[in-house]
This record gives sequence, structure tokens and C-alpha cells, in this order.
Amino acid sequence: MERRIRVVMAKLGLDIHWRGVLLVSQFLKDAGMEVIYIGNKFPEQIVEAAIEEDADVVGVSTLSGNHLTLGPKVVELLKAQGMETVKVFMGGVIPPNHIPILKGKGIHEVFGPDTPMQTIIDGIKTAILGTDPPTG
Amino acid sequence: MPGKTDKEACLFSEANVRKIETDYEDWHKNRLREEDRQLDGKYFTPSGIPVKLIYSPADIKDIRYSEDVGFSGQPPFVRGVYPNMYRGRLFTVRQLAGLGAPEDCNQRVKYLLKHGATGINILFDLPTIRGYDSDDPEAEGNVGYCGAAVDSIDDMDTFFADIDLGSISTSIVTHLPSTSLVIPGMYFGVAEKRGTPLQKLAGTCQNDFIMETCVGSAPEILPPPVSFKMQCDVIEWIVKHAPRWNPVSYNGYNLREAGTDAVTEVGVAIANAIATAEELINRGLKIDDFAPRMSFFWDLHNDFFEEIAKCRASRKVWYKLMTERFGARNENSMRMRFHVQTAGVTLTATEPLNNIVRSGIQGLAAVLGGCQSLHIDSYDEAYSAPTEEAALVSIRTQQIIQQETGVVNTVDPLAGSYYVESLTEEMTHRIFQFIQKIEDMGGLVTAVENGWLHREISKYNHTHQKQIETGERKVVGVNYMKAESEAACPIEVFEYPETYSRQKARLEKLRKTRNKEKVKSCLEELRAKCHSGDNLFPYCLEAVKNHATLGEIEEAFREEFGLWSFPLMG
Amino acid sequence: MKKTDRLIEAALAGDKLSIARMISLVERGDDQAGRILEKIYPQSGGAYYIGITGPPGAGKSTIVDRLIHLFCVNGYSVGVIAIDPSSPFTGGSLLGDRIRINRDAFKEDVFFRSMSAGRVMGGLSRTAKDASRILDACGKEIVIMETVGVGQSELDIAQATDTIMVVVVPESGDNIQTLKAGLMEIGDIFAVNKSDRAGAEDMASSIKAMLDLAPLKMDWHPSVFLTAATLNQGVDELYEGLWNHYRHLRKEDRLKLRRKNQLRSELVRKVDEIVFESLRDRMNRDENLDLLLEDIWSKKTDIYTAARNIADQWKAGASGKHGHTDEMS
Ligand SMILES: Nc1nc2c(ncn2[C@@H]2O[C@H](COP(=O)(O)OP(=O)(O)OP(=O)(O)O)[C@@H](O)[C@H]2O)c(=O)[nH]1
Ligand SMILES: [Mg+2]
Repeated sequence: MERRIRVVMAKLGLDIHWRGVLLVSQFLKDAGMEVIYIGNKFPEQIVEAAIEEDADVVGVSTLSGNHLTLGPKVVELLKAQGMETVKVFMGGVIPPNHIPILKGKGIHEVFGPDTPMQTIIDGIKTAILGTDPPTG
Repeated sequence: MPGKTDKEACLFSEANVRKIETDYEDWHKNRLREEDRQLDGKYFTPSGIPVKLIYSPADIKDIRYSEDVGFSGQPPFVRGVYPNMYRGRLFTVRQLAGLGAPEDCNQRVKYLLKHGATGINILFDLPTIRGYDSDDPEAEGNVGYCGAAVDSIDDMDTFFADIDLGSISTSIVTHLPSTSLVIPGMYFGVAEKRGTPLQKLAGTCQNDFIMETCVGSAPEILPPPVSFKMQCDVIEWIVKHAPRWNPVSYNGYNLREAGTDAVTEVGVAIANAIATAEELINRGLKIDDFAPRMSFFWDLHNDFFEEIAKCRASRKVWYKLMTERFGARNENSMRMRFHVQTAGVTLTATEPLNNIVRSGIQGLAAVLGGCQSLHIDSYDEAYSAPTEEAALVSIRTQQIIQQETGVVNTVDPLAGSYYVESLTEEMTHRIFQFIQKIEDMGGLVTAVENGWLHREISKYNHTHQKQIETGERKVVGVNYMKAESEAACPIEVFEYPETYSRQKARLEKLRKTRNKEKVKSCLEELRAKCHSGDNLFPYCLEAVKNHATLGEIEEAFREEFGLWSFPLMG
Repeated sequence: MKKTDRLIEAALAGDKLSIARMISLVERGDDQAGRILEKIYPQSGGAYYIGITGPPGAGKSTIVDRLIHLFCVNGYSVGVIAIDPSSPFTGGSLLGDRIRINRDAFKEDVFFRSMSAGRVMGGLSRTAKDASRILDACGKEIVIMETVGVGQSELDIAQATDTIMVVVVPESGDNIQTLKAGLMEIGDIFAVNKSDRAGAEDMASSIKAMLDLAPLKMDWHPSVFLTAATLNQGVDELYEGLWNHYRHLRKEDRLKLRRKNQLRSELVRKVDEIVFESLRDRMNRDENLDLLLEDIWSKKTDIYTAARNIADQWKAGASGKHGHTDEMS
């Protein structure tokens, strides 16, 4: 039985930029994933969604500078709920020197503004299916 | 489109045009190589206008100079809204100010004024933009980032401490109509307290319901019809009370940044202006009472000539609408004035110094397009609100264009270029077509409410991204000539972590010391008025003067009008 | 099997993560699905099943959000299955109903699950029904299924719920004819949403007029409400309307009758599925199939006779070794 990756996609907090996260969502859909787009939510609600939707991946996008506080909170809450296998990806406008900090706090991968969609798709597939995706 | 019969008025004689057309045929057949001919029809501007290999008088043979182009400061204003253009007054060098708490901004504003900025754009942090107080739980993590935190009239006072409000021009980048009902009121209130009459205040607030409902509409927001009504309230009140203030800046910029082409950018902004004009006329105003105070805000991207043509065409479309549709008499109603900002979305996080070049070229296009004021993005804007060093480079870029390039010495130097004139005609035509399409759909508010515009934005982004992924569209340093190793980015990021606690303490104090009864009665009156159809501006003004906070007023709106979010389909 | 049993136990005790996992297993058609469903079935049947359908963008999810709130305020726990279509090309999907859901105050009492229709094998009704049965068994007193009313899905939902609420908007007035064909027939309750816009009253009266002509189902006169979900208007009445229908069903054993009818078709469908799967399985394994195809191609036999022969053989075999369905456990 083919394994469909379930991804919960959210905007963090009040962030008003909806199109980036929707764009990524569309590309993930085109790549055959099941994307549950939940709009703007705070970490507690994101984790709530990840549980009920039995997500493999949580993707949070932020362009408003709240990533250092709210991003790692998602990881912590997931852990507290026994969902440490869920991989958390972040995207958006995140200064390069913050990336190691976020990864240190358990964010699986951080995608900057110029990241090709294919990199995001491959990143998720590798993390979840454990294999390198076929090239080409 | 010019009438075909009026050959007399055209630029070139019929005989000349015929000769040029035969020469062109000949050149096309005999001079071009087969490969070159193969490529005919394969080049387009980003908004889909076909681009030929070469342009000639034959491409603008129908243009009648006096009617279709004319001179600057006279109909149809294609060449510019004022006769002397930049010789009279250089474009305003606007720079952004807004970081951290109001006292930080105050420092920044003083710095910019000292270095030659003539206008100030105030940016707000996200909670302020969305109408939440700094101590609201929803604001967590965002207070003072990427803009200023302004919660009450007292913050506005601090922001402009020691600065004479009567002598600067301030653009209050409020974005949403609901906050435009409140934040400019704080500015007016401060002026009033200091004895500066409202008549003396110069500035702009953005106040665009498209901003609220399409561009920044991620969390739930006020429904489009409500937002649109508020937009009209702000305009109506300000036009009557603060005559030098531009009560609306139709924000093509942010829509374009969200993902549309140049035609949609201008088309939506003008469609919004049309809808507003109709509403205000319904409320008993005359077109010439308010049209002179409507201004626009364009985004200039990398396609140099299309952007210049866009600026020229938008002036012409506006002129035609104002005269033919609305019967404007005052020439100021027919002059489309616009502010330009260079395109943030074209900036890359990789190799950020390249952004200086991109912004410089876009800024040059803005000046060649005849903008009234200009903001050049800082090269680090792909990451954060600009650092001082980066902000200075932007000011310098503008000064180089003004003082060193000589492009400001003559009006509209690209007029008469076969390519630019032909593009301008085509743009004009497409903008009119777009406006018609919106009206056929039932108007702009409907097109927003049923999600059409959101879907257009989504589609555009999807295609655009695909083109980048496939390499069909090249971005230097990103998918073209990609840097081997990504050098550590030299960008410094400004952070104001202490803003949160400072603003929180300030609000706590404010809530203790202000006249609680008075605040309560102001807010209650405002709530009652929400359902009366009355203009809400005076009630908001009264509330802020009595130290009601932005968040309290916005909460009243949210409760009275309910929240909406755009329909997601596909 | 131990692992599955532990999962079931935890889910029945209300553990959200276990409930979520169980739904995934069932949805995916995992080997453990059969055992889960067998264990769950006896615990189910207590909930009130509500189906909400209507054209895209009518405001179904917004209404669901408001109803969740009302049910919770009144002390009920709620499970929701929201079904969205998926891409026929990639199988991927973008499920957006959850955006509208804001129920922080009652998060313990609510379980919301998004499901993509394309994923579902053997018809929408099966997976949605199975998932809602899980929610029911795990303690949700109200189970809501939301689906867009296009194609087949609303009929499937009608087969899986006690009350069907059809949400329409004033704009659908133009194509009330098409509404009549599909949605009009299945609705027990109609919500004319977005009544803050023009034309809502007209819409409501034309629906009423049309309903007057239709035959009654189970002595029920479908009710029509005006709502503006974003403004929270008319939702209390809608909520009462749901209970009115429920009370009506509880009288004279109507609920029992409705559910038994549904069980009958579900049973037939399940048998269909099992038979179909095992038959296809067998055919796929049959080495003689190629030879048979050759015969059909060269007209030695015809496709009709061949098909009947295969089916007859299968029938004989199946009746010969009872318990073919053991595969399920
Ligand atoms: N004006 C108005 N808009 C509403 C009302 N109810 C919902 N909406 C808006 O209608 C749009 C669609 O709402 P949803 O609740 O997502 O509709 P839906 O039927 O669940 O949509 P799908 O699941 O995509 O078919 C959103 O923009 C809502 O904000 C209402 O009563 N009045
Ligand atoms: Mg929905």
C-alpha cells in the first residue's frame, strides 16, 4: 500500500502573508502529499492539529520575526504529547544566523526564501520515507 | 484606441508609414536569419504582452500626439502630472522608519531627516498592523519586529517627540481601513494637542481594503464589504477636515508583491478607486471634492520598459476615467499621483549585494516613469527591516539618480520611443479591459468576497514558481549562475527584544491612569455606531483622544462585524 | 495483534493520538483495519450523526465551527470528519476545512479530522462511515461529516448520517434547478447561509415552495433557516432545528428504521467489496487468463460467455471453501 505523507501546514501566529505557505502547500499536493492547511494558528493549535490529523510532518511558515519564540515551541509541545517522530519544518524569512539555533532546538530543517520547491519536497520525502528520493 | 479615420493628427504621414512597413517586411525577410524569425512571437513582457525584435514608427502609427501623448501637466497627463516635473520639485525621498518601541523610532526619524529624507514612512509591527495591542496574547513574538509598536495616542506622541508635524510629510503605512480609522486619528490628535492645525498636516495613510482582504488576509479579518465601507469613511472624513492629507493610497504595490502582473496591479487599484468614487458620490460628495486627494502606490519590478509604460499608461487611464466617466472638472482630479517602491519580491536572500543593483534599476525606471515619491528598498529587506547602513545605501541610490545621472533634467525622456509608446498604448488597453472584467463580475468587493482575486494570486504564484524551478525564468544567483558556496550572509539583523516588556508596562500604566469611564462610554458609542451606517471616523478619533487603545477599538469592530477569511478552493 | 489491541483500548479510553492513528490505519486499508473495525462496532451507535453538504464555499465549515461551539456549550463532545476532493492526477490533496475551526475553549471535547475523498477505496461512504464510527465508539456524542455536494459524495453522506443539512447561499438561486436534482432530495434541514447578502429570503422561499411539492420522508417537513455564520446569526435556530429533527427521528422508531436501512445497504456494499476483491485477486493470479484472452481475441469464444464461466467457477469455489473472508482478521 502506497504511503501518503500527511502534512499539516500553518502560518505562525498573526503573520499576514498567506501566499507563500499556500504556494508550498500546492506544490506538496502536486507531489502527491496530503496537505492539511490550517491557516494562522499558534503552537498549541498546530500541535492539536498534528495529533488529530495524525501528521507525519508539520510545516510552519513565518515572515514576521516570531520564529525564535514560536517555532521551537511547536517542537516542545509535540514532544510533550508523545509525537516526537513528527518532523517540523520551517520556512519564511529567517536570518541565516538563526538557522543553527532553530535546528539546535529540534526543528528538522529550515528553508529560506529562495529555496526551490523541489528541495522542500525532497527534504520531506527523505525525512519521512527514509530514502533518498529518485533523482530526475 | 485612437480613431482610424483621424489620419491627419497622427505622428507620421500615411505615405511614410507605408514605406516603413514595406522596408520592415523587406528587412524581416532578407536581413534576419531563419533562426531569428523562428523566435518571433516567443518573447513576452511579464504581463504577457508580445515583444517584437524591433519597433518602428509603424508600431505607433495610430498615435495622435496631442490627444494621446501631449505635454506634461496637461491632458492626458501621459508624460507627467506637472508641467515642470522634477525641475520644479524632485521626487520625495521617502525612507522607512519603524522599529521597536516609539522612542527607538523617534531616534530613527531624526537620523533620516538629518540625512536628507524629506518624508517619513512609518511602518508598524504586525500586531499594530492587525489591530492588536502589544500586550495581547496574539501579539506574542511580534512586538516591535519589522516595524513600530503603537498602541495609543501617547505612543504616537513619543514617536514624533521634538519633531514639528507641520513641516514634514508623513506616510502612515496603516494598510487596513480598520486601523486607518484609528492610527491617523492618533497623529491628528497629537497635532491638535500641540496646536498644529489639521489643515497644515501633510501625509498619507494607506487605507486600502484590498490590503486587508487579499494581500494580508491570512488570519480572519473584517468582511470585505465592511472593510470597503471603512475605507470610504476614512476618505470622506479626511477630505473634509485635513485637506492636505491623502486619505488613501491605492496600494497596487502590495498586491503585486503578493503575486500578480503589472496589469492586475494597476487594474485592481483603479477598480477600487472607481468603487470608492461611486460610494462617495452616493454619500453626496462631488468627484472634484475628493479625487484630487486620491493617490496610488506602484511596485516597480525588473522589466524596465514595461514598468515605465505602466506608469505612463496608468496616468492616462485615470485621466480618461475621471473625465469621461466621472465628469471631473478640476485638473487635479485628473492627475494620477503615485508613490513608488522598488520590488521587495525581486530581492534575493542569496548574494544580497546584488539587490543594490536591482533596486537601483527599478528606481531609475520609477523616475523615468514620473513618480511623485520613491522608496528604494534596502538590500537586506529580504531578511528584515533595514539596518542603518543599508538604509543609507538606498538614500544614496536615490541621490545618485537625482544628482548625477541627469535623467531628471528633462521631462519624460523616453517619450517617442517606438517601443515605449507602443507598450504604453497596449498597457492602457489591457488595464481598461481588466477593469471591465471586474465590473462584469459584479464589482471589486464581490470579486474579493468570492475569492476570485485570491485564486488569481495563487495561480500566478504557482506558475511563477514553476517557471523558476524549471529555469524558464532566471533569477541571478538563485537559479542562474548560482554561487558555488553560499558565503555567510553579512546581514545584521536588528532586534528589539525589550520592546515587548516596555510596551506592556506602558499599557499597564495607561490603563490605570486614564479616565476609565470616558474610555468605556467612547467605545460603547462606537459600537452602537457600527450598525448605524454613520461615518465611524469621528467616533474613533474621540476614543483615541481619550486614550482608548488601538486593540480596544479593533476588538469592538471584530465583535460587531464578525470575522471573515477568504474562501480556499483548490 | 497485541499492539492493535492496545491501540484500540487507548482510543476507546479517549486518547486522541490513538484515535487518530486508528483512523489512519482504517483509511489506508491497513492489515489491522479489519480487527479495529470489528472491535469498534459494538461500542458504536450512541452518537447523533449529522451530515453537512452543499456547494463549494457555501460556508459549511464556518457553520460547523459555530455548531461545534454550541454543542460544546451544551455539554456534548463532538467529532468531525471533513472530506475534501483530491487531485485525480497526483492523488495529492489540499484540505482546507480546518482553517475555519477555532475552538480553543473546548479542545478536549472536539476531534476534527480532514480526509481526502480520492484516498478512499470503495466509495466515500465507507471510509467516512468507518472513521465516524470510530469517533462514535471513542465517546463522541455528536459526529458531523462535512462534504462538498458535488457528484456522488452527498448521496454517500446521506447513507451514513441521521440528519442531512444542506447549506446553500443566495447566489445559488440561479441554479436552483440543479440543487433540486441532487441536494434538494436529501436535505432534512436547509440553511440559506450568507443571509447578510441580498436574495437570501427569496432563496429560502423558493426552497420552501419546492419542498412543498416533494413527498415527505418519514413524515418530516424539512425546515429552512436563514443564517449568516460569520456574524453568528441564525445559528442558534439552526442548532435547535437539528435537535428537532433528531427528536422527530426518535419518535416511532424512525431513527432505528433509518439506520437499519442504511445498515442494509452498507452490508450489501461490504459484501460486494469483499466478493469483488477476492474475485479480482483470483483473476489476477490466474495463469490461464492469457490463454482465455487469446481465445476471445481469435473469436473461439466470446467475452460474454467467458465472463459468465469465470463467475460460475468462482461461485462454485467460494461456496466450496467457506470462510473466505477470514483474510480480514
Ligand atoms: N458574507 C458571508 N460570508 C460567509 C458566511 N459564512 C461563511 N462565509 C465565507 O464564505 C467563505 C467560505 O466559507 P467556508 O466555511 O470555508 O465554506 P465551505 O462551504 O466549508 O467551503 P468548502 O469546504 O471549500 O466547500 C469564507 O470566505 C467565509 O468567510 C456568511 O454567513 N456570510
Ligand atoms: Mg469547508
